[in-house]
Formats: sequence, structure tokens, C-alpha cells
Amino acid sequence: MQIKPDMLFSIANFPVTNTIIATIISDIIIISFILIISRAISLKPNSIQNVTEVVIDYFMETTREIAGERASFIYPWVLSFFIFILVSNLIAQFPGFESITFKASMSNSHIKVPLLKAATSDLNLTLAFAVISVILTHYFSIKYTGIKAYFTRFITFRVFPIFLFVGILEFSNEITKIISFSFRLFGNISSGEKIMETMYNIFSFGLPLPFMLLEILVAIIQAMIFAMLTMVFMHIMTDKPH
Amino acid sequence: MEIIQKFGLEIKLLLFQIVNFLIIAFILKKFLYIPLKKILDERKHKIEQSLLESNNTKIILEGAKEERKKLLFEAKNNANTLIETAKVSIVEAKEKIIMETKRHSEQILDDAKQRAATEFKIMNNQIEKMSIDVSRKIILRVLSDLFSDDEKQKFISRALKKLDEKIKN
Repeated sequence: MQIKPDMLFSIANFPVTNTIIATIISDIIIISFILIISRAISLKPNSIQNVTEVVIDYFMETTREIAGERASFIYPWVLSFFIFILVSNLIAQFPGFESITFKASMSNSHIKVPLLKAATSDLNLTLAFAVISVILTHYFSIKYTGIKAYFTRFITFRVFPIFLFVGILEFSNEITKIISFSFRLFGNISSGEKIMETMYNIFSFGLPLPFMLLEILVAIIQAMIFAMLTMVFMHIMTDKPH
Repeated sequence: MEIIQKFGLEIKLLLFQIVNFLIIAFILKKFLYIPLKKILDERKHKIEQSLLESNNTKIILEGAKEERKKLLFEAKNNANTLIETAKVSIVEAKEKIIMETKRHSEQILDDAKQRAATEFKIMNNQIEKMSIDVSRKIILRVLSDLFSDDEKQKFISRALKKLDEKIKN
């Protein structure tokens, strides 16, 4: 079973994979959406602006409830993660993903590979998200609690050896965060893709439908989990240690 | 290394995804969150202002209601005072009118009495004159047969003289 993305072609030694194409499609959808919204922004909102306002307001208020005044710098990142992951997950449910093939040249031979694959089924993307999330968390921690408070999380000068152990645990926790962030999203979406592929192979009509609904649900839940965990970690790390 | 290859991890793709997401996050923040937050804040401000205005209007309305109540109370009190004053004035006026009427009627009565007394006096004088006239005529008739013309003339003149004196008195 192949879990890595398929390379379609390369541009100046840069490998263009089917997940990269899906990422670019996600980018185009998000930018088009921003263009549509920003042209019609007004005090009396239309239906699209209304829905967007509800989503933004929900994230803003939720972040404010958790992080208080720090919500102003946390929520834009949380919401960006949510929007990007949600769009990437949902477009993978559209027809054409995994079904349209592309003749890729692989060391003197041509093989048929899917032209489009869910962007979040690529560990490069999920790891990129995890790295950005963790780095931002630490950046905000240094910025808002100060360098001294930041380092006391990991290195303590207290006499009890237990505190040294706690410091090591805190450090390993940060590494675990990256792994759990990236593999949770990657695993859920990849496994969902494989389930859908299997269902399509068993019986294409009707049978995949409940699984498709389940995948839509998973897409929303995973986007929400990533965003909420980022929010919570940012809040914890920007809180002064006791 | 084998695991990394199996998952298709590649530094170029990783960097591409990082840069791509940062660009999208920047665009989202710059062109979506900031303008929408501005709109949300503006709307919130307008709603708060409207609520404040509505509260102010409510307070003004309550004040007006209180003022109305106060004015009505004052008006009622004034009306009651006016009614009381009017009642007193009416009684006073009634008494005054009665007094005036009494005085006027007494005056009329006095005038009438005076006039009646004058009339009576005039009538008395006239009756006296008439009785003297009648007495003269009686004297003239009675005495004409008893005395001579000269005596008659003397008696008559004397009697008439006395009568004239009496009349003059």
C-alpha cells in the first residue's frame, strides 16, 4: 500500500506531486473566496459574508474564552489552519480526486498515477502545519512571557531532581506535539482515502455514499481538532509558568 | 531513512508547504480577517450606540411620563384650588348681591316713603286750600243774609284775612 504522494513531473529539480496540485487548487479556492468576500464586504452582509462572519466570530469568541486578551494574535492562525485544512479535506471528496490519472515518467518508464490526491494525505503538508504551529507557539511564548519565563519551562534551577525530569518531559512533549499533529491529520485523511478506494472497488454505486458522508464529517472534525489544539497549546505556552 | 522515504517526506516539498501556508495565512489575515473584524466591530459599535440611544430615549420617555404625572397632579391641585376659590367667591358674591339688593330696596322704600310724605303734605295743603275755599264760600253764603253789605264786607275781609294768614302759616 502506497502512502506517499505520486510525483507527476518536476520543475527545475522541484518534484511536483499530485498533493502539490491539490494544495494549489486549495489555494485558488481560498483566494477566490477571499476575492468574492472582500468585494462585497458591507455593514449589511450578504449570505456568504454572513456565514464567514459567523465562522470568524465563533473562532474569535472561542479563542477569547480560552486565551482572553491574547485571542487577537492567536485566532488568525487558528482560523487559517482550520480554513486551509477544511478546504483541502473537502475538495478531496469531489469527483476526479484519485480517479483522473496522469501518465507520469518515472526513470525511462511511464506509469499512470492519480492526478489529484488529498493534500492532507501528504505528510509533507501535515508536518509543515505541525512545524508552523509549534514554532509559532514557541515564538508567541517568548514574545508574551519573556525569554526567562520561556526557558524556565524546560530548565529549572530548583534543587529537586524531579524538576529536571519535568523539564525533559516538557521538551519531549514539544517533539511529540509535532509528531501527533502531523500523523493524526495525515493518518485520518490517508486512511479515509484508502477506505473510499476500497469501497469504490467493491461497488461504485451507492455503497461509498455513507462513507463519503463519514469522510466529510472526518474532514470537518480533523480541521477543528487541529485548530483547537493549536489554540490550546498557544494559550498554554503564552501563559506565564507558575 | 527508510520510514521517511516510505512517507514521501522531502525537504523541498516541506518547505514549499510551509511557505505556501504562510502566504495563504497572510492573505487570509490581510484581506479577510482584518476587514471583516473591522466590519464586525463597526456593527457592534453601532448596535451598542443604538442600544445606548434607545436607553436614553427610554429614560427621556420615563422622565416625560413623570413630568406628565407631575403636571397632571399640579393641574388637578390648581383646579381644586380654583374650584374652592370660586365656591368662596360665589358665596361672597351672593352675600354681596343680597346686601346690595337689600340696601337698594331699603333705599327705594325710603325714597317712596319720602315721596309719599311729600305727596301727603302737598295733598294736605291742597285739601286745606280746598277746605278754606269751601269755608269761604259757606261763610259768604251764610253771612250774606244776616249782615249788611258793609258788615259783610268787614267780616268777610277779616275772616278772609285770618284764613289767608292761616294759609300763609
